[in-house]
Amino acid sequence: MEKPLDNMFDYYKHTSMFWNDMISMMASKPASLTAVGPLRNFTENIKKISQELIESNQEIVNFNTYLMEYYKQLGETWADSQKKVMSKVSEIPQDAESTEAYKRVWIDMFENDFTQLFDTESFSKNYNKLVSTEMQLLKRWNTIMDIMLKSANMPTKEEIDEIYQELFSLKKQIKKLDSSKKRRDVKNDS
Amino acid sequence: MTLETSVNESIIGDFLNFNRNIAEIPSRISVPHEVKMDTCEYDVVYEEDRIRMLHYKPLTSKQIKTPLVISYAIVNRYHIFDIDPKKSWIRNLLESGIDVYMIDWGTPTKLDKFLGFDEYVNDYLDNCIEDVCDRSSVDKVSLQGYCTGGTLATVYSALHPEKVKNLVATAPVIDGWKDTTVISNIAKNFDVDTMVDVVGNMPPEFIYYCFSILKPFEQGIEKYLKFFQNLDNEKYVNSFLKIEKWLAETPPIPGELFKQWIKGIYQENLLARDKMFVGNQHVSLKNITMPVFTQVAVGDHLVSPECSMPLHYAVGSDDKNLEIYPTGHVGMIASSYSQKNVLPTLTKWIKTRSD
Repeated sequence: MEKPLDNMFDYYKHTSMFWNDMISMMASKPASLTAVGPLRNFTENIKKISQELIESNQEIVNFNTYLMEYYKQLGETWADSQKKVMSKVSEIPQDAESTEAYKRVWIDMFENDFTQLFDTESFSKNYNKLVSTEMQLLKRWNTIMDIMLKSANMPTKEEIDEIYQELFSLKKQIKKLDSSKKRRDVKNDS
Repeated sequence: MTLETSVNESIIGDFLNFNRNIAEIPSRISVPHEVKMDTCEYDVVYEEDRIRMLHYKPLTSKQIKTPLVISYAIVNRYHIFDIDPKKSWIRNLLESGIDVYMIDWGTPTKLDKFLGFDEYVNDYLDNCIEDVCDRSSVDKVSLQGYCTGGTLATVYSALHPEKVKNLVATAPVIDGWKDTTVISNIAKNFDVDTMVDVVGNMPPEFIYYCFSILKPFEQGIEKYLKFFQNLDNEKYVNSFLKIEKWLAETPPIPGELFKQWIKGIYQENLLARDKMFVGNQHVSLKNITMPVFTQVAVGDHLVSPECSMPLHYAVGSDDKNLEIYPTGHVGMIASSYSQKNVLPTLTKWIKTRSD
């Protein structure tokens, strides 16, 4: 099942990339002739954004697969628990406390079954693949935003991260200097 | 043909009460975010970056000389230790004549995403303890760590044993491979590198997800049903609102610390396997030679007893005590049970080992 799908995606990706590059190259001459400054940048950005979108297709499919599996796991567990509760209902005495008893059985049964599900390796693996794919998609979105921010002359995520890193190491250095100064002062005082 | 259905009167009564409570609720109770959570007074005596150290005002005329510094967890905030006067861990310690300090790790921003174990243990925790030593004119303090704060306190005690007189580890996360909770099941396959690379700090939303898979029906449905049924019970409502507010106020976790946590503790189990390095220093639990008190709860669904107990067997101390309580993660520190069973043993243990 996975192989033909992969091939289909490879074919689709290759074709899309081919036309994306071709159109961009074919348009480059007229664009540079007619464009003044940022407009040229704009056509370059469109190409890069299209590339990111094409690359993300496989991830979108993966994300949907993992998401479907996630809901399937939850749905099946829900159905199983409900069946178990229904089989217990006949044992609950029909008196004033029956509502409370039914609620207790329902909660205990669902709690138990769902905890068992969350404890399984298959849940953990699928859930983590789901989150990981979501992160990859978010990364693509960040890249697209970075392309747009760059063309608007604004700092990108990567550049902001560099500043954070720089500030972090500066703060560390200052703290180190501060504490060595303190130690020296104490030594001089004594 | 007549169709007869009989509905129990009490069901109708409960249903009407429930509806009445929903309609009257806004006029009868406080707005949740305005609820005050702390009951004991304190001064903020030390601040560094986002962190703060609180010093609680004494409740006795005489206190033992060795102060107790509490390293709270990196998930949620410290308020749970003092959320209800009758169940307050802090109040109980103060009433026993112990001088108490609490480290509030604060709310990290994007700028703090590079903070890891090294900064938390060798900078923040060390600076707090230095400050307490200066204030109290002592060389050593008693150090208590709760949950993930217990791990930080353990690592600190291994790297700076000369500054710790007694170590109290309350539900510490030590042996990730032995942890049987759903949290560790998720953590074992977690792609933490991509997460931190993309989002920086670990967002509270993900932490809420982890909470939601712990007892989802008891905590997600039954708790709220009970709340609406108990609106006439002022004590219950107050306690409920405080706990809800506490649960909803979890800060993000610095990305680097979270990465080191998931990989080092849950995936590679470095601390328990004696392979952990913090700031280029080897963290050997054998270096912990001061008296150690390990507290675990049988019903702990966040840190299972199997995960915490290895600390007791791995430390180099001769004077060590392991107590296993039939309660849960929060029940061990903020319940009537803890007031009656956990704290008396602990305060006695600290007092007999302090100046």
